[in-house]
Amino acid sequence: MSGLWEVLVRNFPQFLSGFVVTIQLVAAAFVVAVVIGVVVAGLRVQPLPPLRLAGTIYVEFFRNIPLLVLLFIAFAGLRRAGLDISRFAAGAGSLGLYTAAYVAEAIRSGVFAVGQGQIDAALSLGFTYPRTLRMIVLPQAVRTVIPPLGNLMIAMIKNSAIIGVALALADDLLKEARVINSRTFQTNEVFFWAAVGYLILTVGTTFVVRYLERRLVIRR
Amino acid sequence: MSYLFDPANWEWLFAGNNLRFLLQGFLINLQIAALAMGLSLVAGLGLALLRVSRWTWVKAVTGAWIDVWRNLPLIFIMLYLSLSIPESWRVAYQDLIPAWLPDAFDSPFFPAAVAGLTLYNSAVIAEIMRAGIQSLEKGQGEAAAALGLSYWKSMRLVILPQGLRRMVPATVSQLITLNKDTTLVSIIAIQEALRHSRIITSTSGSPFLGVGVDAPLLHVFLVTGLLFVAVNFALSLLSRRLEVRERERSGVAVQRVSGIEDQLETV
Repeated sequence: MSGLWEVLVRNFPQFLSGFVVTIQLVAAAFVVAVVIGVVVAGLRVQPLPPLRLAGTIYVEFFRNIPLLVLLFIAFAGLRRAGLDISRFAAGAGSLGLYTAAYVAEAIRSGVFAVGQGQIDAALSLGFTYPRTLRMIVLPQAVRTVIPPLGNLMIAMIKNSAIIGVALALADDLLKEARVINSRTFQTNEVFFWAAVGYLILTVGTTFVVRYLERRLVIRR
Repeated sequence: MSYLFDPANWEWLFAGNNLRFLLQGFLINLQIAALAMGLSLVAGLGLALLRVSRWTWVKAVTGAWIDVWRNLPLIFIMLYLSLSIPESWRVAYQDLIPAWLPDAFDSPFFPAAVAGLTLYNSAVIAEIMRAGIQSLEKGQGEAAAALGLSYWKSMRLVILPQGLRRMVPATVSQLITLNKDTTLVSIIAIQEALRHSRIITSTSGSPFLGVGVDAPLLHVFLVTGLLFVAVNFALSLLSRRLEVRERERSGVAVQRVSGIEDQLETV
């Protein structure tokens, strides 16, 4: 048992820096996912068929492709194609683009939850389509979308673990755990503390989401 | 763009046996996925039943087990298992497996991969199934009890058939995630689609090892990715078909519960 604490105390700075990098990765990816997700959701609910098709293709492509394949394309593939892309940007960007497909779906179902009646009413009052989206639909949809966004955040925390160990794109928590393990060979202890780190993030997010859900959700 | 669509960069696809090699790797992914899907569904159902058990302590222990495994990254679980299983076990496993089993079974890390996939996905699927069971109106169970059915009989004949049917879309979407996650086994040194892709990119341009046609990484991995997109898209179409049929059969709209990336969301 003393060995367990010893592993944590000896390697604490390394665990902590990995923990922080994981948070940075997820934060950067979350911004990308929400921005792209809103754009794609907008494409999928607007009336022009070709743009809608583009949105559908985006969602079906990124939702059905393994994240690891995307990481290979984003980093090694684009580099060899002559595009100079940083390690962190490739990692966080891929994770963001991947999750954006799910965000788009969550937002789209949130938009549809607002109801056609309200959209028709706004249009008949003389609002243009973009204005209807911005002023009537989005403020309501955003609230409905908070629980699924929180769940996607948890999924992102878990998916971020792939970035470091697969392609060494970032020194995140799992990567650091593997480095510490290759030095100490105390696999059980090292992975125990890494698990604690991940559980703090995922379970912690679960509680935050539940709190926000109670505070913000619109009751219909 | 011109780099992407340059025909010279696509020659590798039909050169030598590149395409066959890629598909062989993909087949290993599918084999691993199929085995892990079967195991996860069975274990998931078992966990879900324990999770709705009448005994509080069984419920609590199962709940903790499920929450731990579904809140850890899958790659974390796989990496841990592959590092902590002693080498003697791996050797024993390789001596043990019969030769007639599919190629996927050959790797000494195969048990760690399947165990990791199953631990993680059974926890997620258990949570999906529990939501399905608990979404049923209470009257269903009470009616079954009033008819004199025992606990297990009412489970088997009344609750599960209705509850699980509601969860088909969420379960299929989790199986799609599982299918994508089989690529992670490449990290613990199992030869599959991604490893084969990398071999193609590194040997194909070589005049000694390959066929002398350059295979750009971007293009090879796009093809690999599209293989997954094709299979997963077919699965999601199947799930939508099942959903529509269920609505027509029962006459009522099924409660929309969709799984999003390992999380459960009631819309």
